Amino acid sequence: MTAAVEQRSGPAGRFLSARTRRLSELTGRDRVLGAGLAVAALLPTAALVFLAYEMAVQAYPAIVFNGWHFFTTKKFTMGNLYGATEVRSGYKAAAGASFGVLPLLFGTVVSSLIALVLAVPVAVGGAILLVEKLPRRLQGTLGVFLEILAGIPSIVFGLWGIYTFGPLLSRTVYRWIADLGIPWLDGPTGAGQGLLTASLVLAVMIIPIVASITRELVRAVPAVSKEGAFALGLTPTEAVRFVTLPYIRTGLVAAAILGWARALGETMAVLVISGNALNIYPHSVFDPFSTMAATIAAFLDSALTDSTHMALHALAEVGLVLLALTLLTNFAGRLVARRFSDAGLPVGRGV
Amino acid sequence: MKRLIPLVLIAPLAVAACGSSSHTSSPTTAPAAPSSNSSATTGSSSGGTSSLNLGNPASPVTLNESGSSLLYPFLQELVDPLHSKYSNVTLAPAAGGSGKGISDAIAGTTQMGGSDAYLSNSQASANPGLLNIPIAISSQAVNYNVPGVSNLKLTGDVIAQIYQGKITKWNDKAIAALNPGTNLPSTTIVPVRRVDASGDTFIFTSFLSATNPAWQSGPAFGTSITWPAVSNELTANGNPGMVQTCQKTPGCIAYIGISSEDAAKSAGLGEAELQNKAGNYVQPDDSTVGSAVSAGAQSIPANLAAPIIYEPGAQSYPIVNFEYIIVKNKQSSADTAQAIRDFLAFAVDPQGGSSSQYLAKEHFVGLPSSVIPQVQKAIATIQG
Amino acid sequence: MQRRRQLTDRLFWAACGLAFLLIAAPAISVLVSVFHQALPALGWQLFTHTTHTNGLENAILGTLLLLLGVLIVAGTVGVAAGIYLAEFATGRTEKMLRFFSEVLAGMPSIVIGYIAYLTLVVQFRWHYSLLAAIIALSVLVIPYIVKTTEVSLRQVPTSLREGGAGLGMPRSSILGRILLPTALPGIASGLIVALAISTGELAPLLFTAGSSDNLPTLQLFNHQVPYLTNVVYTDLALPGARAHATSAAAGLFSLVILVLLIAAGRLVARRARRNTARMSL
Repeated sequence: MTAAVEQRSGPAGRFLSARTRRLSELTGRDRVLGAGLAVAALLPTAALVFLAYEMAVQAYPAIVFNGWHFFTTKKFTMGNLYGATEVRSGYKAAAGASFGVLPLLFGTVVSSLIALVLAVPVAVGGAILLVEKLPRRLQGTLGVFLEILAGIPSIVFGLWGIYTFGPLLSRTVYRWIADLGIPWLDGPTGAGQGLLTASLVLAVMIIPIVASITRELVRAVPAVSKEGAFALGLTPTEAVRFVTLPYIRTGLVAAAILGWARALGETMAVLVISGNALNIYPHSVFDPFSTMAATIAAFLDSALTDSTHMALHALAEVGLVLLALTLLTNFAGRLVARRFSDAGLPVGRGV
Repeated sequence: MKRLIPLVLIAPLAVAACGSSSHTSSPTTAPAAPSSNSSATTGSSSGGTSSLNLGNPASPVTLNESGSSLLYPFLQELVDPLHSKYSNVTLAPAAGGSGKGISDAIAGTTQMGGSDAYLSNSQASANPGLLNIPIAISSQAVNYNVPGVSNLKLTGDVIAQIYQGKITKWNDKAIAALNPGTNLPSTTIVPVRRVDASGDTFIFTSFLSATNPAWQSGPAFGTSITWPAVSNELTANGNPGMVQTCQKTPGCIAYIGISSEDAAKSAGLGEAELQNKAGNYVQPDDSTVGSAVSAGAQSIPANLAAPIIYEPGAQSYPIVNFEYIIVKNKQSSADTAQAIRDFLAFAVDPQGGSSSQYLAKEHFVGLPSSVIPQVQKAIATIQG
Repeated sequence: MQRRRQLTDRLFWAACGLAFLLIAAPAISVLVSVFHQALPALGWQLFTHTTHTNGLENAILGTLLLLLGVLIVAGTVGVAAGIYLAEFATGRTEKMLRFFSEVLAGMPSIVIGYIAYLTLVVQFRWHYSLLAAIIALSVLVIPYIVKTTEVSLRQVPTSLREGGAGLGMPRSSILGRILLPTALPGIASGLIVALAISTGELAPLLFTAGSSDNLPTLQLFNHQVPYLTNVVYTDLALPGARAHATSAAAGLFSLVILVLLIAAGRLVARRARRNTARMSL
């Protein structure tokens, strides 16, 4: 009965009459409360707008100074801070200053992509196992691994990467891979710090996001559909392939995009395991590299010694690119989720 | 003032009696007396402090400092003795690199910035009223992790080529030519550089600029420079980070400040003998550093921004520098200003911070007596 | 044919099992590795000494202080915003506000830290301070609190609201006496997620909280704040077994706080399940 009442009034939480929700129709105390709550609700939006605006304002001098060079050159340098200053396009900077974002963009995108490609199958496979095969009792206990992984501080992942994971990999797996002599997969493996290790650690960090969303998605698949599949004689694997996966397809894409967004913005773990290479592209997966987020964190102190402040503006420009990339990713995820929302099997609807 | 003179005479004896090892022998050998406890130095310092208006401030003051990881251990040592002399003054040092020290001092985030590098011309002109106050003299070693090789001789030119990626193996003929008779392995050289804005980078690259013309016209010197892209170059954070990274990487070469030298040696890193301007190969110790200082202390500019890199002298060590505290001459309150003056005067005082008890642990050397009056004059301008 | 399908079935579940192991193994490895690295430093002196002398007292207190601040600031704003979105907002305003809140959730923490540094620390002259750190963290976690608050309030059956309206209660009373207490477990779990995120963050704090070897004070401005993840980062660069062990110990403590928060979250979830069971009339 309650369900019927809820259906009649629309989404849960709504009064039967939508009119009473307008602030002008509330009285006295409720009006003050509503106004106060509205202010609070505006704050996230205000913060977002302020962040984007401030980033753009701080980046503007660098945008003018760098021009298109920002996207075509690989040299990122503040110039000679103890030398003379030069003026270009109306802005002062140290002599020889040149800011190019290409290697940073490359490092960010490539490491996140590798992390995503490795994390999604593992996360989805593990989540499906958790929901479909494991008994109820174990699901909660083993689900705790996901919560722990999600909560481990990024710098602790860095600590683990430097002292445990990296050395372990470079002693074993990397040696084998490097011996194969495939281009891009050979070269000195060093102490285990570089593109591949950082990508692997990123993968471990985004697995919980993808896995927990997948877990909820798989749980939401109607039991009726699955039972129907079994009634037809499908094996559990085929049930997953023909029923579950199509159902959660768009949710999976959204989860993957969320995971990718997390990898893009990851700073501290990458900072300590990437090797912070500047002005150079990694030639193999074992080489050091740099990402945009890690460079902002690593370079801020240096940038502050530039008395022309151009280095600060250049970092803001890097941050703006990172921000744009993250926002685009989020929009894309939202679009995908909305567009495919009419897809999915008709089985189970209306029953 | 009269009471100080007997103390001044007893102090060197007391220090010698405490037996602070090899440091006490140097005052007798170095003619210009650059090290801390010779009586000539103490005479000038006790004369200058009266104009500084020192004393325990009326209310408690915490002096925040950040910056040089080379200076940091020395400042850590001074916290307790400073506090016991002036009970209302608490020094709170932090590391983070000389660049951070300078920028924190400029922004006012901390009251003092520790830096191995003096202010650049553009920093100084953008911030009039910002002072370079030297408080001690330090040096820097070039360390390497090549098992089985000790007493490696290197020149600034060769090191510059290593950091340019031109010399890539330890048995390169340029290195072999400097070290005849040493068996050099064919290991790849892994150069390590600082990732933070570092005063060690400043003095290291000053040395490279002085010895390699291509480096001078290219990356030149600074706390953050454009490092030539070398494919397997590693980065490290702070002097301790340099020690750690080099320890884990066979074949590495790194520049490490003298206060971390003990850690470097116990980590098994070798210390290179660097060729000085006179052509001799020297390692950093009190006499080689003292020799460089006495040559460089002849001409100190008014703003105390004095490089003492690659100084002449048969036994001068090439990488020697003043340790600076960057501080504004206009402070927020009279108490803060007095606390800062207290600290700075204490730091350069051979009976205080610049006694061998504190300097020896970091292998620092005290300011030469010729420089101290100039430093005290600068300290006196810090007002609230 | 049947055999091949059965074989595929077995292989698939074996692969899923492997995948699950690949999830569990790093989690266990991190915990074990951090514990192992922290072992030499473990002892009571971690609680009685500050980071000046290889202890963690100031860092632990600083982290707890930051968490309290986030709870107050982000908790208030986030819950209030969530209530507004669930109970008061309509139509396009509601959709837009929710949209922007979710977009804020995807903001890289280094961007938030950078802007907080340039505005709060430098422009406003707060310098490294407790308030700047709390604000930076709050901006980071508010979207999560908003989302969970909104979701929990929506899950409260409408019949309860109608009952309250029928009794003539004003909206604020319905909210305070009926809705919030019912939705509290869900809101609490959102707050716990926010606290867990705050414990582990470093990038935004590096540029707002600074670092300190002294005990944290309640001063909002001009005083640097010590916190655990900073110790992990800075001690990582120090040589010697002592500093390394202290760094790992700081990491261990942040993991301990995390585990406590997860446990609290589980307790809250169990309470929530009991509540909803009671509510199904």
